[in-house]
Amino acid sequence: MPMTQEEVFAKVKEVLTTALAVDDDEVTSQAKLSEDLGAESIDYLDIQFQLEKSFSIKIPKGELTPENLFTNPEYVQNGRMTPKGLAELKTRMPFADLTGFEADPDINKFRDVFTVDTLVKYVMTKVNT
Amino acid sequence: MKFVLVDQLVSLEPGKRIVMAKNVSMAEEYLADHFPGFPVLPGVMMLEAAIQAAAWLVRVESNFAHSLVVLKEARGVRYGTFVAPGNTLVITAEAVEIAAGRSDFKIKGAVNGNNAIQARIELAHVNLAATDPAMQPIDRNVITALKERWQTILQHSPVTLPA
Repeated sequence: MPMTQEEVFAKVKEVLTTALAVDDDEVTSQAKLSEDLGAESIDYLDIQFQLEKSFSIKIPKGELTPENLFTNPEYVQNGRMTPKGLAELKTRMPFADLTGFEADPDINKFRDVFTVDTLVKYVMTKVNT
Repeated sequence: MKFVLVDQLVSLEPGKRIVMAKNVSMAEEYLADHFPGFPVLPGVMMLEAAIQAAAWLVRVESNFAHSLVVLKEARGVRYGTFVAPGNTLVITAEAVEIAAGRSDFKIKGAVNGNNAIQARIELAHVNLAATDPAMQPIDRNVITALKERWQTILQHSPVTLPA
């Protein structure tokens, strides 16, 4: 069922205000789920589940939050993602803005990749196929 | 595995404040999935460590009157730095109020002085016998076990409490 980005953003906002107990006006497009909205790893599970329900989509394991990237020594060295790893990340997360992470690929900062906009763009790929 | 999430008693001001430490070890089973290749203490475990620290303060204050001291509500939970194997998470729980059946705490957790978690928590203090008198022996056994655990914690603590 095709949706505009505004429609998707409005629904993603609803999911996040409920899941993270934050105010409406805190959920901006650029807000980082962890740093700005206080999301913890258990919240990511809840958010995924709520997005599936809200948009009637299925989010396969590893599609929104990529797996098996950090365990590969070709992708991560000394706590930083290698160029090969970044290339792989781009193919796994075409919906994400990775420019910030590319500038400083410290894996401790990886969760900053997940902004509200990341979720909106991801959902757009699922509802508009 | 048993989720005993506080290892050491650092300091205790009866009825007011407790500081406990949790050492994070590579051996903790949940780290294998959280996350593969990037083990960090789950935020909910940090919260549980804080609840356990606050609960000990309640038990000492109430002289182990209850078998269960559990989380009723957590508010304003904010996370900061990651806590990794080899780090020590130092939890400070300050009592806002400790009443007979409930208590309210401000908690903070830090790694090398860097904030890892902060929250406001409300605990409920209960005995199973309150709803079912037949459960009194279970309350008694749990309380005995908790007193023993507390003695173990005191063994290696710089804190000495009046008997």
